[in-house]
Amino acid sequence: MTVKRKFNAGDIVINLVMILVCFITLYPMYYVFILSISDPVVAASMKVYFYPILATDGKMWRAYGYTIFYVVANTLLVLLTSITCAYPLTSKKLMGRKFVVAFLLVPMYFGGGLIPSFLLISKLGLYNTVWALIIPSCFNIWYIILTRTFFVGIPESLRESAQIDGANNFTILSRIYVPLSKPILAVVGIYTIVGVWNSWFTSNVYQPDTSIQPLQMYLRRVLVQQTVDLTKLSQAEAEAMARLKLSNNQLKYSMIIFTTLPVIFTYPFFQKYFVKGVMLGSLKG
Amino acid sequence: MHRSGLLRENAELYAMMLPTLIIIFLFCYIPIYGILIAFQDYSPGMPFFSFTQDIKWVGLKHFKRFISGPFFGRIMTNTISLSFLNLLFGFWPPILFALLLNEVRSVRFKKFTQTASYLPYFISAVVVAGMVLSFVKTDGLVNNIIALFGESRKSLNTEPKAFPVIYTITNIWKSFGFNSILYLSAITGIDPSLYESAYLDGATRWQSMWHITLPGIKPTISIMLIMAVGSLLSSNTDLILLLYSPATYPTADVIGTYVYRLGIEGGQFSYTTAIGLLSTVINFLMVFASNKASDKIAGYSLW
Repeated sequence: MTVKRKFNAGDIVINLVMILVCFITLYPMYYVFILSISDPVVAASMKVYFYPILATDGKMWRAYGYTIFYVVANTLLVLLTSITCAYPLTSKKLMGRKFVVAFLLVPMYFGGGLIPSFLLISKLGLYNTVWALIIPSCFNIWYIILTRTFFVGIPESLRESAQIDGANNFTILSRIYVPLSKPILAVVGIYTIVGVWNSWFTSNVYQPDTSIQPLQMYLRRVLVQQTVDLTKLSQAEAEAMARLKLSNNQLKYSMIIFTTLPVIFTYPFFQKYFVKGVMLGSLKG
Repeated sequence: MHRSGLLRENAELYAMMLPTLIIIFLFCYIPIYGILIAFQDYSPGMPFFSFTQDIKWVGLKHFKRFISGPFFGRIMTNTISLSFLNLLFGFWPPILFALLLNEVRSVRFKKFTQTASYLPYFISAVVVAGMVLSFVKTDGLVNNIIALFGESRKSLNTEPKAFPVIYTITNIWKSFGFNSILYLSAITGIDPSLYESAYLDGATRWQSMWHITLPGIKPTISIMLIMAVGSLLSSNTDLILLLYSPATYPTADVIGTYVYRLGIEGGQFSYTTAIGLLSTVINFLMVFASNKASDKIAGYSLW
C-alpha cells in the first residue's frame, strides 16, 4: 500500500517550484538557441541560416576530430586498465593483495599536485604531444575499485569450473567476467566519454600547440578569451556574413549549440548510467 | 593447489595488472615524490632528488615567502570566501530539491524535471563560462533585465564585486541537480511503512517530510557536509580560470589559479609546489577536524 492523498494546495506549490526549477535550468539554453538561429527581432521567424558557415570552419573541425580521437583512446584504455587491474584483485590466490590495494588507495587521498605532475610529463617528453592527453589519463583508480566491487559479485564457481576445464585467467576474464559486467563497464565508459569530451584544463597545461588541442580549447579561445573572431573566417565567408548581417555574438551562440548538441541529445539515453554511477560511488565513498 | 600452480597463477595475475600498476606508479607516485622541490630552489632539467648533483635545499623559504607575500591575504580570503559562499548557498538546494521532487505526483513530470536539472552538469565548463560571460556583458541577458528595472547597464564581467555572485550562481546552476541524485537515492531507501503509519496517525505531508524523510537522509547530509567543509580550500579552479580576468583578480584569484599562473605560466616551480602542498595539508586537517566534529555532534563519520 502506498499513501494516497488528495491533490491539494501543497501539490500546486510543489509543482510550481518544479516548473521554476525547469525554467531556471532550461531557459539559458533556450535563450542561446534562439539567439544562435536568429536575431532577437526576427526570432519568431526561426530561420536557420548560418549554421552552414560554421561547417566551413576548418579549425573547428580539426579540433572536433582531435576530441573524438582523445575520447575514443581514453575510453578504450580506461576500460582496459580498469578490467585488467580489477580482475586479479578478486582472486583469493593473489599474493600481496593487501599491498596492491593500499598502493591503489594512497593516490586517492594524496597527490603531488599540478606542478610536480607537469614537470614529470615534461621530463617524459609528453609535453606538447597528443600523448599528454592520453597516457597520464589512461587509468582511473576510482573506476578500478568500482569494477572490482562489481567483479566480486560474480559467483566464484564460474571461475572455478572454467579453471577445471583448463582456462587461464586471461580467458576467464575475457569470456566470463567482461560479458557479465556490461552494466559497470557502461557506467565507466560513459563517465569517461563525458569527462574527456568536456575537459580543457589538461590540454591547456600540456599542449600549447593549438593544432593538437581538443574542441573545448578551441571553444575557449572563441567564447571565453575571444581571440578568434568568427566574423574574420575568410573573405568569402565574411561577405556572406555581411550579407546576412550576422554578429560575432550570434556566431558564438551557434557554436555553443553546435558543439553541445551531441551531449544534449545523447544524454537522456545515458542518464540512468550516470545515476547508477553516483549510487555505486556512494556505496563505497 | 600445487605450489607451482599457485606461482603460475600469480604470475598470470601480476602480468595482467603490471602495466596499469606501472603507469599508476609513474603518474601518481612520482609526483608525490616530486613535492621535494617545494623545499629546494628547483630549476628545470634537474632531477627531483639526487646525491650527486647539487640540489639547493632551502628549507621552508618558499612557504615563508608565500605567507609573508603581498597576495597571501587576498588569495586566502578569496579561496575561503568563494568556497564558503558555495557552501552557504549551494549546500541546501540539492536537499530541498530532492525533498520536493519526491513529493511530485506525476511520474512523467518528475522524470522530466530530473532530466532537466541534471543537464547543466553535462554541459562543459567552457560552454557554461562562455554563456555566462555573454550574459553579463553590457548588452547581455542580465543587463537587459537590469535595464528593464530602469537601472543603468554595467560591465559585470570586469566588476570585482560581481564576480563572487556570478561564480556562485554558475556553480550552483551547474551542479545542484546532479548533487540531488545522492539524496534522492537515500530517500528511496526509507522504509515506506513509516509513511503509512504516519499518514494513519494523521500526519500532514510536511510533517512526514520533516519527521521521516529528513531524518532518513541525515547520514547522507552529514557525509556531504564533511566533504564540503573538507574542500573549503579547493575551489573550482577550472571554472574560475574561465570566468575571471585581471580586472576581477581582487575577488577571484584563489590558490588554484595563483599556482597555475605562477607555476605553469610563470615557471616558479618550487614556490608554487610549496603553495600546493600547504593547501593540501590544510585540506587534510580540515577533513579530519570536520569528521571529528560530525562524529561528536551527529554521530556520523567517514571513517
